Amino acid sequence: MRLALAFAAALFAAGATPAAAAPPVKIGYAISMTGPFAPAARTQLNAYRLWADQLAAQGGLDVGGVKRPVKFIVYDDQSDFAKAPQLYEKLITDDKVDLLLAPWGTPFHFAIVGVLEKYQFPVVGNSAASVTIRDIKPGNIWFTTSEIPDRMAAELVKFMKKENVKTVAVNTLQLPFSLEVKKFLMPDMASAGLKVVVNDDYAPDVKDMTATLTKIKAAAPDAVLSLSYPPDSIIFIKEARQLDIKSPFQLVLVGPTDYLFTKMFGANLDGIVTMGHWVPNQPKWPKAKAFYNAYMKKYGEPPDYLDSALAWMSIEVLQQAVKTAGLDKAKIRHAISTETFDTIDGPVKFKGVENVITPTMFLQFQKGRPQIVWPGSDATARFEPKPEWTK
Amino acid sequence: MEEVADVSLILSPQLLAAALVLAAFYALIAIGLNLVYGAMRLLNVAHGELVMLGGYIAYWGFARWGISPLISAVFAVAAGALLGVLLYATIIRRLFRSTRMLARVEANSLLVFFGVSVVIQNVMAVAFTADQRGFSYMDGVLTIGSVRIEENRLLALAIATVACVACALFFRYARSGMAMRAIIQQREAAALVGIDVDRINIQVFALGFGLAALAGTLVSMTAQISPFMGFPFTVSAFVIIILGGLGNLLGSILGALMLAAVEVYGAALISPSFRSILVYGVFIAALLLRPQGLLGRSIAAR
Repeated sequence: MRLALAFAAALFAAGATPAAAAPPVKIGYAISMTGPFAPAARTQLNAYRLWADQLAAQGGLDVGGVKRPVKFIVYDDQSDFAKAPQLYEKLITDDKVDLLLAPWGTPFHFAIVGVLEKYQFPVVGNSAASVTIRDIKPGNIWFTTSEIPDRMAAELVKFMKKENVKTVAVNTLQLPFSLEVKKFLMPDMASAGLKVVVNDDYAPDVKDMTATLTKIKAAAPDAVLSLSYPPDSIIFIKEARQLDIKSPFQLVLVGPTDYLFTKMFGANLDGIVTMGHWVPNQPKWPKAKAFYNAYMKKYGEPPDYLDSALAWMSIEVLQQAVKTAGLDKAKIRHAISTETFDTIDGPVKFKGVENVITPTMFLQFQKGRPQIVWPGSDATARFEPKPEWTK
Repeated sequence: MEEVADVSLILSPQLLAAALVLAAFYALIAIGLNLVYGAMRLLNVAHGELVMLGGYIAYWGFARWGISPLISAVFAVAAGALLGVLLYATIIRRLFRSTRMLARVEANSLLVFFGVSVVIQNVMAVAFTADQRGFSYMDGVLTIGSVRIEENRLLALAIATVACVACALFFRYARSGMAMRAIIQQREAAALVGIDVDRINIQVFALGFGLAALAGTLVSMTAQISPFMGFPFTVSAFVIIILGGLGNLLGSILGALMLAAVEVYGAALISPSFRSILVYGVFIAALLLRPQGLLGRSIAAR
């Protein structure tokens, strides 16, 4: 009996240094590290790597109440949609991972849905947004974003009406997400009585927007909506400043939340409105600041307020689900589908595949920092008309 | 309402300035691509990667050590030229020794350089991350008449114009420049009249690569850079040298002006969404109607 007790004590002692005892939990993902999407996928990858660091420092992952060491298995999908399902299948069948993190971007999320369904493997998605996510059969994938184009268009129109916008110029990149936003925006603006004075689309390899922006300048609308991605968002901001477009409401869809924009434009980013539903200084979200600080410490620059935050939310959801459900797929699925999760972006709860708690928000840069300016219930600052561009 | 706006838009000096800046970048890149093609019959699809390298040299110089991109431009040109010389001395020269190899390389240069291009892009992405980068240098806005332009663009335009004019003068008056043109026109005949083809080839690589790297530093002053920024420039340069004539160096400048005009004025007159259709429409039209390029003379290289 005494021997048995001593044995048990020894076991507990071993449990305190978990790396020695339990087999590691294998966590896998594939993301674009090379190829054309690698620059955009970077801030999500950074969040994943930060998590790996934190787990190592904390001595592992809490699996149903037991701390276990982790091992990450990571592949590069080479920015190829076709590779993503192969790699996720390999992770599941060959590497036999216990948990999966999502790839970067809407098309990659869609590409792996079939594999997840086939192996009944639950994944918390993040950097994907499209109304078509609602067509996916719920059960093995969920999306943390609240920036679904139809919800976003409706909120943006309400936001513009509140700021007394009457005339709008729209300049849209011809890629699925921006076109989808525009598709919902145009009828919403029409029924709200907003007048569209310039309406141009442009191809992804654009190098100059002078023609469109000269038209916008002449039309002097109350709002300019640049439905753009980072490379062309940069062209828009540079050329809007160059032409001194004075519209008080200027939205740049994707890009400004990446720290690159702060470095490149400094004070000229002030007043720019962009999509996003997270900032570190929202007092309602106590975890937000800690994430910001940890990211800042590891990378020496702020996280992307969009993709890094979404990635972190998906990690938090998975981590909390595994804490209660362990590694059993059915139990994880049940936990994710039913529980409410406490994240850096406030509570998250899924209905079908969609995050139904987090509202669609808009950010605006003010004095070099992003603030939530819409909706009023979550705002950290009031909307300010775009200040003059610097000379 | 838009119709009325469009007419005044075409006459807008702002549009002209935008077209000239774009043309200046294009010309620098296209001249280099065309030089190497003209002299060696090698279509260097990795040419845009030199633009990328030039951009990174300027970025690092500025971000890490606060060096003006104007000074970095000198280093970038030197680095580009050195790479050209190394590539020629280690690989290309050997290939050109045997006629059998040469025929094979000429036929496959597109594929070989495409592979090289993808490798360089991804080595850069792995070694230095795929982050998009950018910096602000001389970003004040100048007002000249009715044109508003960032200082860095005006500066880039000025430097690129000087470089293009210097190239034109070099090809016209300098002994090496004339020798380059001679090789482009008739490689064997040039050798027969005593031109040291090997030596000139080295210069061709150095000049062509250096010009592309220079373009990269200028582009980085006005736009963001990433390991994947080069390929679209290669494609544009390819369209330009078809427009201006393969091996025709002044044609490259004309072709650059044309392509920039198609992009900027096409967006104004028709729609920015037609950019690709217009650019490749002009490209195909040039191939069908004037395969020898706008500036005429066909080049006999057989």
